[in-house]
Amino acid sequence: MSNFNWYIDGSIVGFYLLATMIAGIMVRKYVGKVEHFLIAGREMNVYLGIASLAATEFGVVTCMYTAQNGFDKGFAGATPGLLNCLAMFIVGATGFCVKPLREAGVMTIPELFQKRFGTRIRWLAGVVIVLGGLLNMGVFLRTGGEFLVAVCGVGGTPGPDASFFQAHYLEICMTVLLLMVAVYTILGGMLSVLVTDFLQFIVMSAGMIAVTVLILTKIGWQPLVDAVQKTHGAGGFNPFVNKTMGWEYVAFNALLNTAAVLTWQTTIQRLLAAKDEKTGRKVYTGTAFFFVCRFLIPGIWGIAALAMLTPAQVGGNSLLAMPKFLSTFVPVGLMGLLVAAMLAADMSTDSSYMLTWASVIWNDILAPFRKGAWSEKRGLFWNRSLVAIIGVFLLFYGLWYPLKGDLWTYLGVTGTIYLASMSTLLIACCYWKRANNWGAAGAIIIGAAFPIAYLVLQQVWLEPKVNELGIQIIENGEAVKIAVVDRIIGPYYSGIAAYVFAGLAMVVGSLLKPESEAKKAGG
Amino acid sequence: MGEHWFWFLMTAAVLVWYSTVTVYVAIRGAMDIKTMLRNLAQAAAAPQEK
Repeated sequence: MSNFNWYIDGSIVGFYLLATMIAGIMVRKYVGKVEHFLIAGREMNVYLGIASLAATEFGVVTCMYTAQNGFDKGFAGATPGLLNCLAMFIVGATGFCVKPLREAGVMTIPELFQKRFGTRIRWLAGVVIVLGGLLNMGVFLRTGGEFLVAVCGVGGTPGPDASFFQAHYLEICMTVLLLMVAVYTILGGMLSVLVTDFLQFIVMSAGMIAVTVLILTKIGWQPLVDAVQKTHGAGGFNPFVNKTMGWEYVAFNALLNTAAVLTWQTTIQRLLAAKDEKTGRKVYTGTAFFFVCRFLIPGIWGIAALAMLTPAQVGGNSLLAMPKFLSTFVPVGLMGLLVAAMLAADMSTDSSYMLTWASVIWNDILAPFRKGAWSEKRGLFWNRSLVAIIGVFLLFYGLWYPLKGDLWTYLGVTGTIYLASMSTLLIACCYWKRANNWGAAGAIIIGAAFPIAYLVLQQVWLEPKVNELGIQIIENGEAVKIAVVDRIIGPYYSGIAAYVFAGLAMVVGSLLKPESEAKKAGG
Repeated sequence: MGEHWFWFLMTAAVLVWYSTVTVYVAIRGAMDIKTMLRNLAQAAAAPQEK
């Protein structure tokens, strides 16, 4: 039974949704060019940038996997947040890669690569960015829907007399959420995204802080620490001694987060939308510590679920432990703020991600097919259509993809499809004169091959799961199966290999190309 | 706090920093939006004035 009150909490949520939709739709009149639609005419200043970047990089999906990390790994589960903060602060303070990228005046990263590696590499880079990005984003809607139905208490197994809503609550919730986001993103592009992100940042932050303070005052600090100590021992506080983490987890996350800071398209789009390079870097340094909050706050919610719920209450899925806990812990009134906050988080992420991948499809993948100069009107029509198509893809992918393993690892593996190669290409493009298109092509292919092979093997190479006595585990009359690739390699080694071999491919490929030919080709 | 002072201090820092930044960004961000929309409106009007 949830504490969600449809009159009181529902009104708070309804008011938030109305305000967001009005703000998002109102700014559409300022969109006259493709540049306005994709990068807000490069008029974004520091504080709007911080609000937008923070809101974009925190969705319900983030809240779910960071809370799952807290539940499954204790405080040590916040390690990726610390690494991300460190990477973002160093990159912002030094301008490493982001300074030449912003100064180049491009709209996407592949556009920069064209200048150095040629049009084919730009196209290929666009393809892997969109592939990795869409697979990554594919689970956002379902996860967001699962959180909302669990917190609002409309979930559960529908009986034979269930109404249409009860039988399809998740699908309806996902569709409505997506439609609202799509409307303002299609109409106002980046301008709507920035303005709604700003509102969503305030609502999301207020909700997150209020719920965390409530947990710490009602439950207290010591019971949380005790729960982690009892369940995870020293590994709940130190990632290096946690049996599900270890040095390989820390190394993979260090590589992943550094690459994401340098090349994650939604993050980079804030840098490119900034009014100048200095503003872009200030957005980075100013937002850096938010990435600790992003992992630690929901992590504490997950730890609170660990402390307060019995294993029977949690069920078999640790991903749903946090929303189940919050549904009965948060009182009426604050529940409305929490749901509004999570809706805000989800909508800001979905809108930015849809716009971002659309921008890469338009700017880089469709570039060779855009013969001659297209009018601004035609460009806007195509960009709006791309956002809508991505929305439809998200809806269907989110409905059928069976997520295995923990969510953060899935996102890390799908993100690595392009993060490994794009970070290599960006660093080489900015700082290595000998880098050329042979090395770039090798890095893209090798960097994508490892995570794609891992994802495919995870779905098709299965074996029966056995208990400690070697007896096969049966649930609901069927044998439980696990992915063999998870048992023998695991996602962290495969992820580390993607980064290492992408770097090697860049070096070897570039050195293999005769210098005379590289000079002739200009790259 | 005990032996896990690192996570205690980190949690305290997160709450203080996040609360402060939320208020500050709410004020300055609103000003940024106003400036951004004014600049875009001026840029749109400029060619017509010519």
